[in-house]
Amino acid sequence: MKNRQPAYQPTSRSKTVKVGAAASAAALSLLLAACGGQTTPAANAGTGEKVDGGTIRYAHLQEPACVYGGWVQQAFLSRQVLDSLVSQTEDGSIVPWLAEKWKVSEDQLTWTFTLKPGLEFTDGTPLDAQAVSDNFEFWQAGGNGTVQAHIGDYYSSSRAIDAKTLEVKLSDPFTPFLSALSQGYFGIQSPTALGTRSEAENCEAPIGSGPFTVGEWKRGQSITFNRNDAYNSAPQNAKHQGPAYVDSVVWSFIQDNTSRFGSLASGESDAIGEVPTVDFDTAKSQFDVQQYLTPGRPVTLSLNTVEGPFTDVKVRQAFAYSADRKAVVDSAFLGVVPFEGNGTVSSSTPGYNPDVAVDYPFDAAKANTLLDQAGWTERSAEGTRTKDGKELEVKIVFGLNSIVTAEGATALQNLQEQVKATGFKVTLVPATQAELFSGQFSTPDSYDAQLGYWTSPHAGILHINFRQNTEKKPNPANTTFYNNAEIEDIILKANSAKTTAEANKLYGQAQQLLSDQAVAVGLYTQTSSVASNPKLKDIWLEASQGEPVFHDAYFTE
Amino acid sequence: MSILETRENGLAPGTDPASSPRRRDRHAIAGLRSLGTRLLTAAGVVWAAATFTFLIQSLLPGDRATLLLNQLNGQIQERTAAELAPINEKYGFTDPLFVQYFRFLGDLATGNLGISYQLHKPVTEVIGDQIAPTIVLTFTSLLIAWVISTLVIVGTAKRNRFFSSVASGLEALAAGLPQYWLGVILLVVFALNLGLFPVVGGTGIGGLLLPALTLGIPLAGFLGQVIRTEFESGMDQPFALTARMRGMGDTGVRLRHVLRHSVLPGITLSGWALGSLFSGAVIAESIFTRPGLGKVLVTAVNSRDLPVVCGIVILVAVIYVLANLLVDIAYTLIDPRLKKS
Repeated sequence: MKNRQPAYQPTSRSKTVKVGAAASAAALSLLLAACGGQTTPAANAGTGEKVDGGTIRYAHLQEPACVYGGWVQQAFLSRQVLDSLVSQTEDGSIVPWLAEKWKVSEDQLTWTFTLKPGLEFTDGTPLDAQAVSDNFEFWQAGGNGTVQAHIGDYYSSSRAIDAKTLEVKLSDPFTPFLSALSQGYFGIQSPTALGTRSEAENCEAPIGSGPFTVGEWKRGQSITFNRNDAYNSAPQNAKHQGPAYVDSVVWSFIQDNTSRFGSLASGESDAIGEVPTVDFDTAKSQFDVQQYLTPGRPVTLSLNTVEGPFTDVKVRQAFAYSADRKAVVDSAFLGVVPFEGNGTVSSSTPGYNPDVAVDYPFDAAKANTLLDQAGWTERSAEGTRTKDGKELEVKIVFGLNSIVTAEGATALQNLQEQVKATGFKVTLVPATQAELFSGQFSTPDSYDAQLGYWTSPHAGILHINFRQNTEKKPNPANTTFYNNAEIEDIILKANSAKTTAEANKLYGQAQQLLSDQAVAVGLYTQTSSVASNPKLKDIWLEASQGEPVFHDAYFTE
Repeated sequence: MSILETRENGLAPGTDPASSPRRRDRHAIAGLRSLGTRLLTAAGVVWAAATFTFLIQSLLPGDRATLLLNQLNGQIQERTAAELAPINEKYGFTDPLFVQYFRFLGDLATGNLGISYQLHKPVTEVIGDQIAPTIVLTFTSLLIAWVISTLVIVGTAKRNRFFSSVASGLEALAAGLPQYWLGVILLVVFALNLGLFPVVGGTGIGGLLLPALTLGIPLAGFLGQVIRTEFESGMDQPFALTARMRGMGDTGVRLRHVLRHSVLPGITLSGWALGSLFSGAVIAESIFTRPGLGKVLVTAVNSRDLPVVCGIVILVAVIYVLANLLVDIAYTLIDPRLKKS
């Protein structure tokens, strides 16, 4: 699992770089590096012998309001306490988890899952087929909006045939069904807990059958996860079956990058998530670092295709040609996070089309020609192109610190600078979390481009993001507002293909067609990373969304 | 306001009030009246704070039900009326604003701060869980600021031109230090490089000093600036000369007479500082990973968790009111002339 990604080296740092904040942060990290020698626990001092028990002190970046929900930050937490039906491995194949086997009918509409025997939730409720069916109903009734986004259009009904056998009926064949089920959002909860406990209890401490249970949550500080001593339902791709090796995990929330990395350097944390980019090299030399490239939609600029200058495909293409986006990303992320040229699907997703990633290299001449053809022929005094007296102004909205990191914002500033040459005037609008989530920037009149990502372990994300947005069947997740019946048809065919290989071929076609239309301009991949003390072994990042798994982790002497 | 009134009363020439029973009654009535006015003012401040917060939070652009639903799912999108209906129903977002406002005021009057939209817990519980570390941090910072500023002033003011101006320059510098920058520097130097303090502060004693210094040092600069002027002029006052003539040593004069004379503006400033430390605590809290209300407030504002935001704003307003009351009391303790009122 380690080093999913080949060591990534920045190739060019000499391009126009705006690194005001990054430079001071780098200076701090030098200070840190300078002292690294004395504060780092010696990696090779111990005997390497396994120690039973202990408490893992893990430091994470964001603290969501609830443990369970439809946000990836919540999946990070709920993965520790909930098990899903199946698990996805690194190569995209599906292995047993709560379900030990499954089969699908000839018409691909009826899935039959056989559960492992003797499963129980930590509140004593039996984890049987009825319990799982109850969870499907709970999700469909609004229990998890992200689950609905994935399977809502396909799920029809479910029932328990007997205690161990669950039948799920779909309305149409859905090839990525198992892959979708492997995500944290699809964690199975105790129906007793869901039905009888208060909203606050289910928010703070969902009851599952997972390797840990939720202990105390000190808001603003940490959550303690205690070992489930009866655990016996690890996924097949876990490194061992049975209860976790460690007694507990103290999952603390340390927002400040310097403090979070500092806590690892000083030995106050055994592992940290979201390794700060400025500390990445230091971390690699002193700790075990794993980086995970999140599948799904990469961090991409969705261009508004129904209002403003980007309604013209030529202008969209010209925008994509106007910047050396790889350099923009490399300089902002110091080479730690890879550039992603494909605007619709990220490189680690099964079904990724790599050809699309190189469709729009930096080519100022092409950009200029396209803009001339589109009628943006005049230039204002500042060099911005104009047409009928209107400036070629582009408003880019991004959720600073909630969706986009400070480095991502730097990448946007680099981009803003670069596209000036071809005559684009970019206005950056950093939006607060409240503004974004309240739908203030969700309508066609509120932006020309929007930066965002969407995690998904399968390329069916295309269906979520590019299903047509019609009056009868609105699709607000289509942030480009791009409606194309032909492309939607290909995506639907892919979703319902007989085999995954066939599905991926069709997904590849859809990516190409969307790329030809330049509706989304890729920037970089969403990543998650973990740096851990060398004495702590076998933490792994699960493959559907990159959540750290502590069930197999143990300390050595 | 009331400080000035009491001061004037106290300075008014008159015989010992205790000597006349009729006077005492009148004073008692006046005292009650002033207490009543003060309580009314306090209630007015709290009401105004609550109202402003409520209106701002309710009238900000964007839909609150959409926000709650999107927040739950980590998505940024429009929502259909059908999706929003249950949420609107639950929180009454579609009621006319004045209905929502009076419901809010009614709840407030009965001490019900509501239930957090995000945490699904009563706001009193949310605040109760987090208030202790914030209070500890606030008062420790204030204490540190006072210790630093008095030490520096007693030690340097009017002693030697060079030291005095260097110290005064340092005060100006400290007052202008951005807390975030200072906090990170303290963290890197004392916690990471020297390893003297834990990086993750938590609520322990060891984790308190650096965050308190982060907030206390800039405040010490402010305090130093206002006290120094007063102190320097105090050193030239006749009472200082008299004390010296009585044979009192320089340090004695500084500590027992001049300092006492010059801290009054510092005390006034502290009333303001208590409130501002309370709301500014978030910086120290996030750098040093301390729990506390500051962080809760920022998260709540980010997610427009109206009950929590209102609850904390009301609390801060109450603290301002209380702090000013404490300032008044402190005045009478330091300046005995005021006691006579």
